Amino acid sequence: MDVFTELKKIIEDLLDLENREITPETLLIQDLGAESIDLLELAVTINSRFKVVVKDDEIFLTRFRLYLTEAKKKGEDAVHYLAAKYPSLGEDRIAEIMTHIKEGPQLKIKDLISYVAYRSREV
Amino acid sequence: MSLHFSGSRALILGGTCELALTTAHYMIESDLFPLLTYRDDKGLSGITEALRSFQGRYETCHLNFGDRDSLDSVFTQIGDDLNFLIDFAHGNYESLIAGSDEETVYRYFMENISFRAEILKRVGRAMLKKRKGRLVYISSAAAERPNPGQGFYAAAKLASEALYRNMGLELGERGVTTVILRPGYIEAGRGRDYLQRQDQKILEMTPIKRALTGEEIAQTILFLLSDSAAGINATAISMDGGLTAGK
Repeated sequence: MDVFTELKKIIEDLLDLENREITPETLLIQDLGAESIDLLELAVTINSRFKVVVKDDEIFLTRFRLYLTEAKKKGEDAVHYLAAKYPSLGEDRIAEIMTHIKEGPQLKIKDLISYVAYRSREV
Repeated sequence: MSLHFSGSRALILGGTCELALTTAHYMIESDLFPLLTYRDDKGLSGITEALRSFQGRYETCHLNFGDRDSLDSVFTQIGDDLNFLIDFAHGNYESLIAGSDEETVYRYFMENISFRAEILKRVGRAMLKKRKGRLVYISSAAAERPNPGQGFYAAAKLASEALYRNMGLELGERGVTTVILRPGYIEAGRGRDYLQRQDQKILEMTPIKRALTGEEIAQTILFLLSDSAAGINATAISMDGGLTAGK
């Protein structure tokens, strides 16, 4: 089973979703209504299922806005600064998140896929 | 009526104290499997001696509060197969606050509060994987009624109670619940030594006019671990013969 299919199944079970269209572009919090307890459970399930270390703040982009503010205060290029904090994402994705950040939390399924892939390479 | 339990594997922090050993005894008799932590060889010998008739029905693991490496090895030993946590561990630091040593205070709070939070994070995540777990924290009636010199002890106990309470609030919907037990004077271990040094005045203050026994506390803990008590969540229960009820 590929990572997306497996993640989709995990999320469907966890959030008790049936027949919802879930794609890599689906927003976990905005579209699926995931709350902190759901994300916590998702983190431990990803750790267990994919055998990767999961750092909650990193996988769920919890501090994205904080880092953005930090970059501005330090006068550093925001995309580079954030790419260093989130090595699994890549600069294109970081820029995309920054474009839409005012609409709400930007965490997407594809970010989880990137994280699992990145952490799996470290093993 | 008999007690039923959801699972069998129980991590007992501070497993060398007399109360923990009495509780482990009852747990093994109820087909639970305790893993008791110890800090040094003396503690380990104490466990082995107390549970000598139960070989193969419990495990021990070394844990030094404040030492992350020892915590890592505890969780390597447990795997993620954990159903219960019973926390008897506490450090002592007696000092008037205005006379305290800063370094000692920093270390004391790190070991007894921050490190406890770290343990709870790991325990919580392990139990979330099964969507089931039960945590019991053994606090003390002294937490709310400290003597001069017990400020740091009380602070650590109350902070730890808050952590356990919030674990129950946060994870209750996922099947992980918590309860805090506040025993009063106990005829066991350190409590027995203390009572022997005091005169009868101490027990006169207790409405039931006696100290609690280790056995009745351990039996209460067994009940709190059981399915019958799962509705008791994120709260503290006093077991002090009424000591803290009145003036």
